[in-house]
Amino acid sequence: MSADERDRLASEYVLGLLDADETRRCEERLARDAGLALQVELWRARLAELDATAAPVTPDPALWTRIEAALGPIAPAPQTPRQTPARPSRIATWWESLSLWRGYGLAASAALVLLALGTLHLARQAAQAPVLVAVLLSDQNQPAAVVNAFRDGRTELLALSALRAPEGKSLQVWTLWDRERGPVSVGLLEAMRNVELSVEGLPRPAAAQLYEVTLEPAGGSPTGRPTGPILMKGNASPTEVGI
Amino acid sequence: MTTLLYTADGAADDDLAEALRGCARGERAGLQRLYDRLAPKMTGVALRMLRRRDLADEVVHDTFLRIWEKADSFDAARGKPTSWAFAILRNTALNVLRGEGRMDLVADYEAIEPASEEADAETLVMALSEASALRRCLDRLEPARRRAILLAYMRGLTHGELAGRLGVPLGTAKAWIRRSLLTLRECMT
Repeated sequence: MSADERDRLASEYVLGLLDADETRRCEERLARDAGLALQVELWRARLAELDATAAPVTPDPALWTRIEAALGPIAPAPQTPRQTPARPSRIATWWESLSLWRGYGLAASAALVLLALGTLHLARQAAQAPVLVAVLLSDQNQPAAVVNAFRDGRTELLALSALRAPEGKSLQVWTLWDRERGPVSVGLLEAMRNVELSVEGLPRPAAAQLYEVTLEPAGGSPTGRPTGPILMKGNASPTEVGI
Repeated sequence: MTTLLYTADGAADDDLAEALRGCARGERAGLQRLYDRLAPKMTGVALRMLRRRDLADEVVHDTFLRIWEKADSFDAARGKPTSWAFAILRNTALNVLRGEGRMDLVADYEAIEPASEEADAETLVMALSEASALRRCLDRLEPARRRAILLAYMRGLTHGELAGRLGVPLGTAKAWIRRSLLTLRECMT
């Protein structure tokens, strides 16, 4: 893309002329094209004054209350300075979106691919590499956790979010490899964190094995089967290390 | 005259940037400070784009949730906090315009007299500061082309919608816009 084409795309994007498809393609490109991102910033700065001409309108007094409620419970403080900041908003979005859950299939996203590649890269550096990796996606297709299964059967869950169960609820981790047997509980958490899953006595994990996290009553599902909404899920894929 | 949000008010920008850093640390007071400062203008911009108060409120609601989520990606070196926040607002509003409910909105558009749009566009130019480079450069464009640029920004119209509004073929509308944007860029660089 030449400098002129880049500038044209940036200007039409900022002006709001692109249709939904063009906008999506432009945003994908923005993530990897620093030159385009710079042009977009310049156009935003050029046109910003137009927004300033809009007559201010007093927002609905209830609006702030609604925004605050949507932020969800106050998140716990990060446990170590190296952790990424707690993201209560994402929790809020999740809880909010539960009601909107419509059972859409979870399509692979670019983020997923990047994350999986990143995971593989890290895995290669580790002394012991996982033989299977599952990226668990939220209903919004955001990577929310990674499950690594190792050759010796050991399976770990790595949290990518600060999701915390509300009062009176728990997060339960399940795996499904056989529809006859049904999902089996392999972990119970109050909040997402890195944890070794309880897979003793289970068959060695296999490709396409499902991992998911559901919201359950405190202490776990009373029936031994998932009863609450699925917060995230993903299927295991073999790594290049092989099973 | 109009209060400009984007005047070279370094102290106000610093304050907003600090509020964004607060959001990134999970401090709600930061978000509330941004809300108090930006929500009235944002509601005005959203209303101008969507022309429905309920949709405008919804867009402002979603915008602040996105600001809260994305606050840690704000980089003061790359732009002003207002520019960053209004970009989120505009994208959210454009998503609504381009989304499912769009047919209703298009029907609303049709009810708008072209004459009133023309007046809107001219009012908008008048509202810009006399000293503004943007105003000086917009004045260089032919009135019909200036109106096209302003309508696109103010209403979030696509090329196709603009062509319909201006009564010209799509290719002509695209070429007008392209040349007008080129003129603007050269004038403002």
